[in-house]
Amino acid sequence: MKNIVFFFLVLMLAIQPAAAEEFKPEDMTTFMLQVPHGVEGNGLAVGGSNLSAYLFFESYYEGNMNVTMELDFPEGFVLRDTPVHSFSLQTEYEDWYRLVDFYVPADISPGTYNITATAVVEVEGNKHTIVRGTRLKVASREEIAGEIAVSGLTVPSDEDGYGDHSHPASTLVIRETSPALKKLLKVTDLQLDREELTSTYIGVELTNKGDSTVPVIITYDVLDIKTEEPVKAFKPAIMGMNADTLCYATVTLSPGSSSLVSLPLYISEGAMGGEYLLRVKVKLTGSDWVAVTKDQKITAISRKWGPIIITLVSSLLGLTAVSLFFSRSKEIMDRFKTRNLVLIALFGTVSFAAINLPMTILWELSHAVFGPFSFLFTGLFHEILLYMLIASLVVLIPKPGVVSLFMMVRFLLGGFITGSFTPITFITLSLSAVVLEVLMYAAGITGKNPAPENRFRMGVICGIADMASGYASFSVWMVLYRLFYSDWYIMANILIDGFLYTFIGAWFGISLGNRLKKVAE
Amino acid sequence: MIGARSIAEPTIKDTIIHRMDPRAKILVLISTAFVAVTLDNPKTMFLLFLIVLSGFALARMPAIKLKTLTLLLVLLIWGTIYSQALFYSQLPRTVIFTILDPDFPVLGWLTNGGLFVYEEGLRHGAIQGLRSASILSLGLLMCWTTDSRDMLNGLVGLRVPYSVAFMVVTAVRFLPIIITEVVTVVTVQRLRGFNPKRFGSGIVKTSLNILTPTLSNCVRRTGTLAVSIQSRAFRANPDRTYLKKLKFSELDKAMVTVCIFAAISIVTIKLLYNMYTSGIYYTSGLRPVYAIARGYL
Repeated sequence: MKNIVFFFLVLMLAIQPAAAEEFKPEDMTTFMLQVPHGVEGNGLAVGGSNLSAYLFFESYYEGNMNVTMELDFPEGFVLRDTPVHSFSLQTEYEDWYRLVDFYVPADISPGTYNITATAVVEVEGNKHTIVRGTRLKVASREEIAGEIAVSGLTVPSDEDGYGDHSHPASTLVIRETSPALKKLLKVTDLQLDREELTSTYIGVELTNKGDSTVPVIITYDVLDIKTEEPVKAFKPAIMGMNADTLCYATVTLSPGSSSLVSLPLYISEGAMGGEYLLRVKVKLTGSDWVAVTKDQKITAISRKWGPIIITLVSSLLGLTAVSLFFSRSKEIMDRFKTRNLVLIALFGTVSFAAINLPMTILWELSHAVFGPFSFLFTGLFHEILLYMLIASLVVLIPKPGVVSLFMMVRFLLGGFITGSFTPITFITLSLSAVVLEVLMYAAGITGKNPAPENRFRMGVICGIADMASGYASFSVWMVLYRLFYSDWYIMANILIDGFLYTFIGAWFGISLGNRLKKVAE
Repeated sequence: MIGARSIAEPTIKDTIIHRMDPRAKILVLISTAFVAVTLDNPKTMFLLFLIVLSGFALARMPAIKLKTLTLLLVLLIWGTIYSQALFYSQLPRTVIFTILDPDFPVLGWLTNGGLFVYEEGLRHGAIQGLRSASILSLGLLMCWTTDSRDMLNGLVGLRVPYSVAFMVVTAVRFLPIIITEVVTVVTVQRLRGFNPKRFGSGIVKTSLNILTPTLSNCVRRTGTLAVSIQSRAFRANPDRTYLKKLKFSELDKAMVTVCIFAAISIVTIKLLYNMYTSGIYYTSGLRPVYAIARGYL
């Protein structure tokens, strides 16, 4: 019996709960109040703001506790949520938090308001009260506008908002996606949409000169400098979302501090170069009121790969062809009989007398009257007559090099008589000569067994060559002379002037050549 | 009356410009063309244009040449202004006139949203027109102050193959004859009832009717000319001598040196600046160079 009593005593001692740890509310809990959310210390708000207060409670007590929390706002503030919250925490490190929305009325008097949160913690039947308080300063708009400033704006910046000397300040480069890159992306199956690419960042430095912590939201707009309307190309829809949902930053400014934030700047391919106005807006969190704006003029430079590459390739092709000719001039010229050279020179004279000379004034006059549509008129003379001469010359002398010599005579004659030694003339004529020579040789019009009498073939070859040189000429105008042309205009020009008129000219040039052949015989 | 003669014929005088070596003129023209296509600053472009125009004052050009130059420049600049007013594609741009409404049937779609005259395009055209105007003016100054034979001597002096130079000489020599022939043929065609100004198929017919007799004469002339020049030992020797020897004066050398140096410097500076703006190459040591390019070029 004694043994049984002893056994039960031991068992009771073994299973008896440990003596309850003494609950110390401040040591065994964390209770936090932030008004507005994110602000540690005194917050700042402006009338008309919708804000959230942040309540956080965490237990370090190894046991149950029931908490009743009450948030107390001064009169005038409008709570959007219930002020009293009850919850239980079961274990150590368990926590509870809640965002309590409230509204600061627009007509509330400016001043500093005390906000308190009271937590009544019930542990094992004992109630403990913990109180937290914070102050919210409601300031007038003028006061806030005077306290926050955008002290620096860096465009473009790196991902952290710092300026980079390797890029010109206040300048954006709009790059057309490189054709090589596009091809690479296609090959590697990375179908990246250009609009999804971040082009650059804007660095915004904010200063809080006041004595309150201010949570702010920073956004920006790229505006038309004249109308101040936002330019959509700088805020394209990204993955179906409005760019505004991505192009913002939030920061909490401590009293007397400065912060640097960066904002992504997206540029769509349709963006145009020119002058823009970058407007950075700073709003207080919870309010739509823009506290501070800062404008900066920015320049967007449009870099189009297509025309640049075409200009470069055409220039290199022209220079290579001329260098090749100069280095092997004797060899090339010896292929031609003296009478061939004389005939080419005389054809050059006729082309100059019949086309270049009248066109010197006619071209400019029709350009002045009909504007860019003058090509419909001038092409009739220029393209038809020129290709009549070229086709007839090839019928008379079907040798490789004849077109190049003809073009060279025209270029030099034009240079000496009308001073038209221009880069455009050089590039266009040299490209035209190279393309014509290659295509004519490949099509069997010139060469060992020449067959230049086929009108259709001659028309198509000359048409293609003129289209190529016409397109290159537009690229050169755009790159070297900084002129603008619409795509539809370039297309119309090279189709009508480049192909149609040239085809007609070459077609009739064969008839002319055949007639002249009879004269020569 | 401004005609072909006022454009094509040089005015021979004894001025500092006329006395310049043709090779120097060609090199100055090429250098200026490089500078003109490199510049972007409107003030510098205008300065270049004024420098070129001052050459006409130094050359004491007659009134007819100045009238021709003015007419060509006005037409050239206006043509550029016209096209850029329509195609200007930078922002901001202000529509001052609608030529083609975007809703206009077919054409509205074809032009990808209508056709407008933009205020900023007019200004851009005027500025960019200066580029072509400088090159054209200098080209004309060169042609109007140099005899074509001297120019060809200059070409040969610049290592252009003699055969090519010969072809150009032939072309220049026959130019007045062929112009006269073309005029005669046009007169004959008119007397026979053709209207050379008629559009459409009329242009092709007129062209054939003018070109056939003109070129037939050329073809006939070719044989005679070829025999004639071959009998004078054309291409018989690799080297040939010239009656008139070209010689660079000290002034020519200075002019060429200054122009080539300026062209190389400006092109290099702009190239470095463009590499910097494109994010291709940057070095902090070149910051003064970037500042010059941004501010003045």
